[in-house]
Parts: sequence; structure tokens; C-alpha cells
Amino acid sequence: MNERVKPVYLEEKLEEIRADGHQEYRSKSLPTWCPGCGYFSMAEGLTVALNRLEIPFKDVVTVSGIGCASRFPFFVSTYGFHTLHGRVLPVATGVKIGNDDLTVIAVGGDGDAFAIGGGHIPHAARRNVDMTYLVFDNGIYGLTKGQTSPTSALGFKTSSTPYENGDVPLNPLMMLLSYGASWVGQAYAGHPHHLADMITQAISHRGFSFLRILSPCVTFDKTNNTYANLNVNVRDLPEDHDTSDLMAAMAQAQHNDHPALGVYFEHDRATLGQVMGATSKRAGGD
Amino acid sequence: MMARTGTDIQIAICGSAGDGTIASGDIMKRAAALMGFNVIAFDVYPPEIRGFGKCISRIRISSTQAYSLKHESDILVSLNDAHAIPHVGEVRDFGAVLYDDHLVSSVPEGGHISAHIKPAQIPYGFSIRQISELATNSARSRNIVILGYMAGLFNLPREPFREIIRDKFAKKAQSVIDDNIKAFDAGVHEGQAVFKLDDVEVKRESGDDSNGSEAVMMTGNGAVVRGFMEAGIQSYFGYPITPATSIMERLAVEMPPQGGKFLQTEDEISAIAAAVGAGYTGSRAATATSGPGLALMAEMLGLGVMAEVPLVVVVSQRGGPSTGLPTKTEQSDLNLAVFGGSGDAQRIVLAPTNVEGCYRCAGMAFEIAETYQVPVILLIDLYLSNRYETVFPAEGNAFSPKPRKPLKPAKGKPYKRFELTESSVSPRALPGDAGLMHTVTGLEHNELGRPNDAIHMDMSIKRHEKLKPAVHFPGLTVSKRFGDEGPVRVGILGWGSSFGEILETMYQAQAEGIRCSAMKVVMLSPLPMESLKAFYDDCDEVLVPELNYEGQFAGLVSGALGRPVTRLNRATGTPMVVREILEEVRRLAEGEPSPLRSGNARGARS
Repeated sequence: MNERVKPVYLEEKLEEIRADGHQEYRSKSLPTWCPGCGYFSMAEGLTVALNRLEIPFKDVVTVSGIGCASRFPFFVSTYGFHTLHGRVLPVATGVKIGNDDLTVIAVGGDGDAFAIGGGHIPHAARRNVDMTYLVFDNGIYGLTKGQTSPTSALGFKTSSTPYENGDVPLNPLMMLLSYGASWVGQAYAGHPHHLADMITQAISHRGFSFLRILSPCVTFDKTNNTYANLNVNVRDLPEDHDTSDLMAAMAQAQHNDHPALGVYFEHDRATLGQVMGATSKRAGGD
Repeated sequence: MMARTGTDIQIAICGSAGDGTIASGDIMKRAAALMGFNVIAFDVYPPEIRGFGKCISRIRISSTQAYSLKHESDILVSLNDAHAIPHVGEVRDFGAVLYDDHLVSSVPEGGHISAHIKPAQIPYGFSIRQISELATNSARSRNIVILGYMAGLFNLPREPFREIIRDKFAKKAQSVIDDNIKAFDAGVHEGQAVFKLDDVEVKRESGDDSNGSEAVMMTGNGAVVRGFMEAGIQSYFGYPITPATSIMERLAVEMPPQGGKFLQTEDEISAIAAAVGAGYTGSRAATATSGPGLALMAEMLGLGVMAEVPLVVVVSQRGGPSTGLPTKTEQSDLNLAVFGGSGDAQRIVLAPTNVEGCYRCAGMAFEIAETYQVPVILLIDLYLSNRYETVFPAEGNAFSPKPRKPLKPAKGKPYKRFELTESSVSPRALPGDAGLMHTVTGLEHNELGRPNDAIHMDMSIKRHEKLKPAVHFPGLTVSKRFGDEGPVRVGILGWGSSFGEILETMYQAQAEGIRCSAMKVVMLSPLPMESLKAFYDDCDEVLVPELNYEGQFAGLVSGALGRPVTRLNRATGTPMVVREILEEVRRLAEGEPSPLRSGNARGARS
């Protein structure tokens, strides 16, 4: 992963975008994010992934909650549903149940996911709803201008923790691994190519795939999850990491200070749609 | 004017949990329905699953249409004297009280029901326990013995009872069926040998008021399920809550064989969220809950309104606020159903008044939701959810979805999901439709669906105007007037489950010579203003009885019309009492100033 030292030139980048054709996935709405926001690379990553997987726009629904990250559906030219704070997973579950042919991508930030929406994650994971959940984790509430989030570091000073955050941060990967998510991975907005690969894999997985994307908030976090810090702290998963080994995945997930990037765990099991199909058969249906 | 010449009797069976009281009532009402009677029945049981709480099963059996349970029963059957004694007073003069007169242990003074039977009531004491033991070697069939006894005493056909007993215990061992038939026959033998003293008559009238289809007896919740199934419900998301749970349990059985998607979610928020998600894709989606669940759903309901997503939410009310009275009825979630949530979020609210109405409203709810692209709330309550009535199901596939016309993208023009049209309803594309991709949002948005604040007034108009034609939705009873036509002295305005008692009251008031009519309002949002105004114009006095403390419906209509009404509010956890409404009607008819009369000051929201 040498890309962290490779400079990116605008002309070169534009050419690359034109050649890829994935700008087709961009909508006419301009993103509302601050310049330098990590969310740009996730938007880029998703459009690249959809382009690679050749999924028609019409068959993709991006569902989001509320927050900076949740503005995402407006910036891609698929179907989109910008819902309520914390409710992205149950709405996305309904979308998938309503039409199993759709590729459903749930999008949200760390507050939307782990604070107000925390109660829904275990159930989407254990049901193995065939969707992809992308959580852009910047450890702060950006849209409301800089309050602490469930993944903020201890001692972090924000507008709601002026005397330092005293709540121990959650470990999202540990949560998802123990909830029974059938695909768990981690990526970093500062490594856009790797991020695009990870999103592609997450969407390709049949079942509930959870991708945590470490993403700096350049406006409200000048000290903690910055590009400078993350560039130094992130590491790759060990080469010999066995993605079928849940305990190994959990061991890796423990190291939140030096987050490892890559696929932690994958497991093939029946999706909610398949379970419902089997239930119908057992009940005497076709 | 209602003639009451045929059979019209009400049986109350009272016992302790574990006596088989509810099962006994169930066989009685199903047998009566099989004999062709109209049946209304309502069971009261304690919130505890096990224990010795009081159970009462009340069954009204009539040869003409009845609208509510009667305040007085014709027959009281005691399976447990301690529980039944307080109910002796509800038996009318010359009505019958059935009890066990052969006790195995001594009882304290006043502990036996025979000491409480009033002079004008007819006691029928017999050895219920002994007959059961002789017939089946067990006292457990006492609840079946009493059915046989009544069949013998009132000379009812035996075979319908046997048929229902066989059906009810079909999944049990043959010996259970045989024992229960034996217990029933032993009861018959005893009952027919008794000299009949009371004036309770049970006879089948000739003449048939059905529409030709076969009558089916069901509860309000059962009727909702049947309506949903006939409407081709495709996805259901629910979370258990009394008294709506049986809707979920029934759909869990019936949907999967039809390929329907059923999911028990982690809470009410996710239940409605998933219904919004499924409704957004074009699936016929629903959820059901009670007041506390609706309070949790309020925010998501607002998203349904804002994003213009069709879905159906059944709300069966119980006593509130908070956890309130989970096993008692009340009509106190009207405000929440009509107004609940943030912002100006008008939705369609239908409140059927009887079991047939539950069936028809549930059957049509999806089409209404799809027509106006809006959440539809079906507002019922525990009394309607759990009471049994005979229903005549619709012929054919009355509620099946009509095939959807696929939307085509217009060349050179962007697709406007929220286009401002003449009807204010916009052409709706579904995910999967080519070339019509768009994003919907809970943010205020322009015609394209993109966030926009400047258009808020125009979009508010659109979201409200599009619902106005709903009061003329074809085939839907939005409001209906009964009784005297033209100007009347007293008009009774009602909604929901308590309208049955209102109708009974009105017929009694008419019989007393009071010019009277009653109007039910089924669509609570938007209100059928024209028919409400016409009704008000015809009535000298308008009385609004309802089962809540604040007079929520009275506030709604008097606020909307800017005219005063007389409120009759009961928050007792029990159904309305005809006698109490009648007293108020008499008072109003005589022009006495009523302490209940109020303008639109308290609780009024227009």
C-alpha cells in the first residue's frame, strides 16, 4: 500500500476518471462536503465499484440516514432514499425485502450507525440481509458542527465535551464480528484505491457486508483522526490473516489504535431472502 | 325503527383463568354462528397469563343485526362463584343464572352465588362438576357441560356444538374429542330434563339479511388480516404489542404460503421503517401496533408523508397514556393518529366501527395509500380487535391490486418524482424502472426530489391538496347517517368501536319518541366536512360519546367546524354503556342545560 506516498496530479486524475467512465454514476448535485473531506473518496470508491461490477443504475438503491455521510444518495445517479437519523438499516431491509432484485447499499456515519442507530445493527447483521453497509467513521458529528460521537477517542475535546470526552469509544469491528455479520472489513479514505477495492468486494459478498471506512473530518477534528495521524497509524492486515477465522478477526479488531485495513472476516450463509424463501416452502408455498 | 321480535339473547360465562371460560364462549359463539345467528362477542381476561384472574366471555346472539353488546345479559353462567357474584347484577329480570349447586367443600357465608341471585332472576343450580366427572372421569369438562345444559334447556340444535367441539379439538387426541362430546351430551341430558322457568327464547327466524355470501365469524383483528390477505399484502413487519399482536401472529401463518414476506422486527421503529422501505419499492407493505408503538412510529410516519410513500399502519388502541391499561379498551390515540409527528404531516386515518368495517377498510387501505401516495392508518381499539361478529366477505377479488402502468422516461426532460400536477399526485417511478432514477428524502425538496427550502409552501399545499378527494374514494364508506332524516332534536356523532352502542341508543331514543339520528365518521383525516356540516345543520343538539377523557374526537370535529358539541367522555377501560348515552340524549332532548356541553376550547385542534 504505497499509494500514501504517491502524489496525485489533477490532470492525471481527470484523465483516469474519464477513461473509467464511472463519472456516469455521479448525479448533477454537487456534494455538500467540506474540501478535503474523506467522504469524497468514498463517493469515488462506490462509483468505481458499481462501474466495475457493471450493476445498472436502475437496480441500485442507496439508502442513508442523517449526517454528512448520509447526504451521499444525492450525489450518485442511482435510486436513493435519504431517510431518518439512525434508521438506515431497517429502511434498507424493507427495500431489499420489497424487491430482492435490487442492490441495496446502506450508507451512514458513526453517529447515525453507533449512537441513534446502534440498536438496528445487530439485527440486520444476524438476519444476514443481503446488502452492503458503508459506515464512514470520522469520530465526530460534523453536520451539527462538532460534537462527540460514540467512536470519539477518550480525552477528545469537542463542543459537547469541552472538558474532554470521558466515554470509552466503541469498537465497531468487534461489535459487527460478534453480531454475526457475514462480511466485515475496514478501509481508509486516505487510500482511495484500496477503498474502491474493498467496496467492490463488500458489494460482491452475498449477505450482510459491513465496511468501516476511517475518514478524517478536516473541519472539526484537527487533532485526532487526521490524515497525518491516520497515515501513520493504519496498517495492513497480516498477509496470513485467515478471513474465515472469527477469533483471528477479533484479535485483529482489538488494535483500534493501529487499525488494520482489509477483509477481517467473511462467511457464506443463508441470507434473509433465502430464509424467507425456505419459510414459504415449509409453509406449503411454491 | 328497529323491530326486535326474534332471538336476541346475551350469554355471559364467567370463570377463573384455567376453567376453560374463553374456550367455552368460543364454542358457544361459533356454534351459534353455524346455526345462522348474528353473533357479537367480547372476552375479558386478566393480563396475567397464569393465575386465578377473572375471565368473562360475553356472547350476544341475535336473529337480526345487533350493533353492540348489551349492558344486561340474559344468562349468566358461573364456573367460579367468587368471580361471578359481582356480575349477578348484570342479569336482567327473568333472566337465568346457571351455577354449580353441588359443592365439594363448604363455603363461607355469602360465598355461594345462590345467596346473591335476585328475586326476579331464575336460578338453575345443577351438579356441573359431578356431571363432568361422571361423563369423563375429570372435572375439566365443566365448561363443556354447561354448553350442553344450555343446549338442552333452550332446545338448541346439538349438532353444531358437536361439530365445533370436534373442530376445536381436532389437533388433540381422539379421546379428548370423545370426552368433550360425552360431557356435552351429559349436559344436554340434564338441561332438557329441567322445567324451564325463564323467558329467554332462542329460535331461528326465517328470512336472511345476508348478501348471498357465506357468513364468517371473526374478530376485528381477524377481519383486518382477511382484508389484507385479499388485498394481496406482500410484506409485513411487526413487533408484538397488545392488542394488535394477533394480527401479526395470523399473518405469520397466512403470508408465507402465498409468498408474502413476514418479518418480526427488533422494535416498532424498525417495523414501520421497513414498511416505508418496502412501500417505496412498490410492495404492499403494512405494520400493526398499539398506541405506545404508534408513538415510536410517529417520526417515520412523517417520512412516509414527506417522501410520499404508500404503506398501511394498523393501530389498535388500548388505555393510555404510557403503558397504561394494556388489556383494556380506549379511544384515546385519535390525536396521535391524526396529528402525531413533527410538522404539517397530514395522512389518511380510517376508523371502522365494526368487524365488517375492519375487513373492508383493511381490504381497501393499500389501494387508498397507493392512490394518494401516503401512509394510511387504520385506527381500531381493543374492543373491536377482540370482539367477534359475523361478517359477509366480499364477492370475488374485490381488493386485488390493479396492474401497475409502467412509467416511461420522457425524452429530454428530467423525471420529476414530485411534479406539481393538477391533482397534486405525482407520477411515481419505482426502483428498477429504467431512466427514472431519483432520490427521495425527508428533507423538503423540489419537484426533482433535491433538497430545497424555498418551495416549502408549494409542497405543503401539494401534500394536503392531494388528500382532499379521498373523502370521495369509490366504494369506501367515509361517513354514514342513521335514524331520522331531516331536522332532528338530537344527533349523536360517533367513531370507532363505540358506534355500536351509539346506534343501539339511537334506536331506543327513537322508540321513546325522540327525533334522533346518529352519524358515524370513518375517515378521521381528512374529515368529510360536507356531510359533517349537513349533519350539524340538521341537529338542534350534537352529542359526541367516546371512550377517552379529553374528548379527542369532539375536539377534532368542533374545532374543524367551529361549533360547540356536548361531550360524553368515558375513560373506564370498558365499552360505552347504552343507558348512559340514552340518559344524555333524553336530557338534551328536553332542553336541559348539560354540564357536558362545551365549545372548542378544551382539546380542540383545528
